[in-house]
Amino acid sequence: MNNAQFIVRKVAVLGAGVMGAQIAAHMVNANIETILFELPAEADDPNASVVKAVEKLKKHEPAPLSVKAKAGFIQAANYDQHLEQLKTCDVVIEAIAERMDWKQALYEKVAPFLGEQTIFASNTSGLSIDQLALAFPEALRHRFCGVHFFNPPRYMHLVELIPCAHSDALMLDNLESFLVTYLGKGVIRAKDTPNFIANRIGVFSLLATMHHGQSFGLGFDEVDALTGTLIGRPKSATFRTADVVGLDVLAHVIHTMRDTLKDDDWHAYFDTPDWLRGLIDEGAFGQKTKRGVYQKVGKEIQVLNLADNSYRVSRGEANDELKQQLKYSKPADKIAVMRNSQHMHGQFLWAVHRDLFHYCAVQLEHIADNARDLDLALRWGFGWEHGPFEIWQNSGWKRVADWINEDIAAGKCMRDTPLPSWVTKISEQEVAAVHTPHGSFAPASGLLHKRSALPVYRRQLYPDLLIGEDATYGETIFETDAVRMWHTGDKTAILSFKSKMHTIGKDVLNGIQDGLEEAEKNWKALVIWQTEPPFSVGANLKQATERPKPPQVEKREPAPPSVFEKFFKQFKKSAQATVLKAARELDMADALMARKLAEVEVMIAQFQQISQALRYSMIPTVAAVDGMALGGGCEFIMHCDHTVATMETYIGLVEAGVGLLPAGGGCKELAFRAAQTAVENDPFPQLKKYYQTVAMAELAKSAEQAKEFGFLRPADTIIMNRFELLHAAKLQALALAESGYRPPLRQRAIPVAGNTGAATIESMLVNMHEGGFISDHDFLIGKKIAFVMCGGDLTPGSLVDEEWFLELERAAFMELLATEKTQARIEHTLRTGKPLRN
Amino acid sequence: MVKQIQDAYIVAAVRTPVGKAPRGMFKHVRPDDMLVHVLKSVMELCEGVDPAAVDDVIAGCAMPEAEQGINVARVALLLAGLPNSVPGMTVNRFCASGLQSVAIAADRIRLGEADIIIAGGTESMSMVPMMGNKVSMNPAMFKHDENVAIAFGMGMTAEKVAEQWKVDREAQDEFALTSHQRAQAAIESGEFRQEIVPYTIDEKYPDLKTHQVREVSVARDTDEGPRADTSLAVLAKLKPVFAAHGSVTAGNSSQMSDGAGAVMLMSESAMRRFNLSPLGKFVGYSVAGVPPEIMGVGPIKAIPKVLEQTGVKSDDLDWIELNEAFAAQSLAVIRELGLDREKVNPLGGAIALGHPLGATGSIRVATLLHGLRRHKMKYGMVTMCIGSGMGAAGIFEAL
Repeated sequence: MNNAQFIVRKVAVLGAGVMGAQIAAHMVNANIETILFELPAEADDPNASVVKAVEKLKKHEPAPLSVKAKAGFIQAANYDQHLEQLKTCDVVIEAIAERMDWKQALYEKVAPFLGEQTIFASNTSGLSIDQLALAFPEALRHRFCGVHFFNPPRYMHLVELIPCAHSDALMLDNLESFLVTYLGKGVIRAKDTPNFIANRIGVFSLLATMHHGQSFGLGFDEVDALTGTLIGRPKSATFRTADVVGLDVLAHVIHTMRDTLKDDDWHAYFDTPDWLRGLIDEGAFGQKTKRGVYQKVGKEIQVLNLADNSYRVSRGEANDELKQQLKYSKPADKIAVMRNSQHMHGQFLWAVHRDLFHYCAVQLEHIADNARDLDLALRWGFGWEHGPFEIWQNSGWKRVADWINEDIAAGKCMRDTPLPSWVTKISEQEVAAVHTPHGSFAPASGLLHKRSALPVYRRQLYPDLLIGEDATYGETIFETDAVRMWHTGDKTAILSFKSKMHTIGKDVLNGIQDGLEEAEKNWKALVIWQTEPPFSVGANLKQATERPKPPQVEKREPAPPSVFEKFFKQFKKSAQATVLKAARELDMADALMARKLAEVEVMIAQFQQISQALRYSMIPTVAAVDGMALGGGCEFIMHCDHTVATMETYIGLVEAGVGLLPAGGGCKELAFRAAQTAVENDPFPQLKKYYQTVAMAELAKSAEQAKEFGFLRPADTIIMNRFELLHAAKLQALALAESGYRPPLRQRAIPVAGNTGAATIESMLVNMHEGGFISDHDFLIGKKIAFVMCGGDLTPGSLVDEEWFLELERAAFMELLATEKTQARIEHTLRTGKPLRN
Repeated sequence: MVKQIQDAYIVAAVRTPVGKAPRGMFKHVRPDDMLVHVLKSVMELCEGVDPAAVDDVIAGCAMPEAEQGINVARVALLLAGLPNSVPGMTVNRFCASGLQSVAIAADRIRLGEADIIIAGGTESMSMVPMMGNKVSMNPAMFKHDENVAIAFGMGMTAEKVAEQWKVDREAQDEFALTSHQRAQAAIESGEFRQEIVPYTIDEKYPDLKTHQVREVSVARDTDEGPRADTSLAVLAKLKPVFAAHGSVTAGNSSQMSDGAGAVMLMSESAMRRFNLSPLGKFVGYSVAGVPPEIMGVGPIKAIPKVLEQTGVKSDDLDWIELNEAFAAQSLAVIRELGLDREKVNPLGGAIALGHPLGATGSIRVATLLHGLRRHKMKYGMVTMCIGSGMGAAGIFEAL
């Protein structure tokens, strides 16, 4: 290995099974040339197995491909004809079945064909990397290691990197850097022990949960109600996760632990319970066979009831009092709440956490370098909000350690193995913590280990922070209840929302306006970035729909003085006129409602002003987007000068779902973009596609798809790792600023599709309406959106300015909002989180 | 007033096999090329006819644009090697276009204004989709409720017919199954051999390994639509396409198709001149309008009209080619007019054989005339419903 810049031109994935194919998919998502190998098929086409696997990728849920078209970039190959091609691959990932003998046989076969610098890595989930290495000639072993992806590999952040005894240090660094930036993964270095870190702890946690669930006599659904979001784990909790993973896979992993971890003090628990074996014998593997711990009958979810070995309705609920206590207690008090609870649910949760802490403490030194690696592995591989050590530390290190010791002494723990001495040492420290701003505890040295110094991590201005680490973001420029504007010591200002889910209400709008003014005065560029996803779930619907109170109790407070007073004055007249007109037309001459609606229209007008300001301010604005960006969030993105989005960005104009339409410039912008691509001055063909995504409230399921949908522009930047987002966005902003940035000239001649376009769309709606696919109200919404996006009742090809569209947006939004059915939809969605069809 | 002075005879009637659209065997075959092929074929069958004596070529096409645009009849006749003195005209009456072209040709001969005309039709639904490449509706359709139905999709009108004429899902599926079974049996017993002129598809593909052009040439002589493997159970599983709680499915609707047909019409004197004998005689043709939202029942108006016009009695008809746009409308027509189910589409219909819109009329004239002659029958009819609310019916006599 030399020190030259490490470049991966091409990757080969060996094995087109579920994991191999999905890893290949993620490679092409990341624009990496990828060859996918499988055994030659006994069909006319020897690559038939790969072709079939790639076809499957297109239908797989959740989608392994960012867009279906990417499937065509996976090159099919087989071991009989194409091994020569391995020479051109810089990285080869083996992902065949978990059989030591098969893997070793394959290694022997491919070894002669590997390029001189090729890195070869196994995606084994638990086999010994050192033992696998033996299949390679000694001269090749320094280029071998394990890379353990988690399923589904596109979505799970974790990749465990496991060196063998011979692995070259620089090779590992190079591979890690590649995985982090180009595949967007969170890399944890694991020791070569069975099941590595995440599965070792995760599966132990599951076994402990099963054990305690059984001894407390809890149903599977009850256990899931307790071990999901209530304790910061995914909604699928314990058994539903097992169903998703596959009960057969789970049993395999447990058996690996049973067969290979004979020295583990908890070894007695590494076994599949009778009921699990029973299900597997019956072929009930969980989700993939439609039956497992759970099954779905019609719309009803049923759960296995061990008492009579039959299925019953799943209705497990956590004890209400405990639920309330956990909900309203501080994070630091939650473990104490469980332990002190008189209810068996609390006792169960304490037992589960206690034994997990116990096990992690004992095993840490054997499986991981430090406590941070273990916690991050569980967060990234199992979707836990916090790792075990974080929770322990946050609940008072010493206090919890004492409780565990008490329970060990009382014989309540699964094992009586004493806690390792380092636990006590930490308890005795002034700051009893394994995670500190200076690093995390490493049992081997007894020291705090800092985060990796690899250059790739310099891109992560703010890595995934653990409780106990320093979580301050730069220097504040100004801060309100709704937003914070800040910087990191250079001339780029960063604006972050503080609202829940980063919704956009009047206060956030004010914040952006103030931010833009400040940025124009004192900064080179503005980046909108959130400290965590989502980017924004859109406008704060509550403000728009809270019904006015009856007159006798209504007390109207004067509007707080704000920079928007001028907007208030400017728009009040026109707003009220429009609303009253709309209300009259819709038989809604309810003066009260009209007044409330007038306020909303002022807010909508503000919204549009902000969108336009993002576009036309004198400094470059860059949206740094990760996670969901809905409605108003999407509209802001569309109006920034540039967007840097992570691949896992989900953008949509979903207003139609609640009976509204995009009115923050979204319709305008899509109509404008369609006009830009118009062939022979006819924006309609493109506009029709944009219309469908808006009318159907479609959500782009990746940044790549957001480009297809027109929410992102072709030149917008897509990156793979969300922790590199701010870094990339700042550089893009700076590049714009340093390239003599000027806002675009205002659009004053946008050709519209006009009344013919609207009529053509209406013909589609008429058929859907007549066929009973859409309701009367859907029909109305669809027509309104068409009317706005087509520029209203105009001769096709007429030229309009942006304000023309914005007025149409506002008027249509208000007309829809004034309808009872739209109001019912919004209220329903706010109450239940689900859409209402009416 | 000008009156008929002579009869119009059909001396040749051919068609291509019908391919599935948009992903069938003719997906890359141009509709003008298909028309060229059937024009050449009728000329070859009418050996000895002086090409310069052809008075006109009239071709039906329902979406006459793009590959089948710029007056496809004239383009095709020139490419077919007919002299440039022969004129050409494309006509459009949607699904009746290929029958309308025959009727126009017959009328011109019957009036004595022409002696030899080739009528036909061509359509590639693979290349030019239903409603054309650029759909554009007149806003006036939506200003008055009574005009909204112009915008109805054909499937929607079939739902309306199914509802009004009480044609249930089971009856539609059973009708569709019969269509497939009859078509399959007809193919196996060679019923279509006389009318089909095989089409050789020439295609060129890149071989990315050698960077050579690979030429592929395949002759096709069999309709692609009929399915031997369908059953009531399979059909019953299909979901309604046009209405959430409807009964019209992809299985009981006509298939989208590619194909072409051509018919040589002559006066008696022309036949004598070139020493040809007739397959049959054109008897008469009618069209009628119905509300657009129930366009499928068009034949209910058109059939009695043509019977009255020609004096032929319903019972005299031995064979009826009723275009199966949808099982729902076919059954409504059959029930309303009391047609004999055994006489209607004995070789299957558009649900199995396909429906290349503007070509269907000419194609089914070929099926009818050859069929009548093979089975020693006399009178037959080609009839169909037409989008936006019309029906057409033409009567032929086998000789």
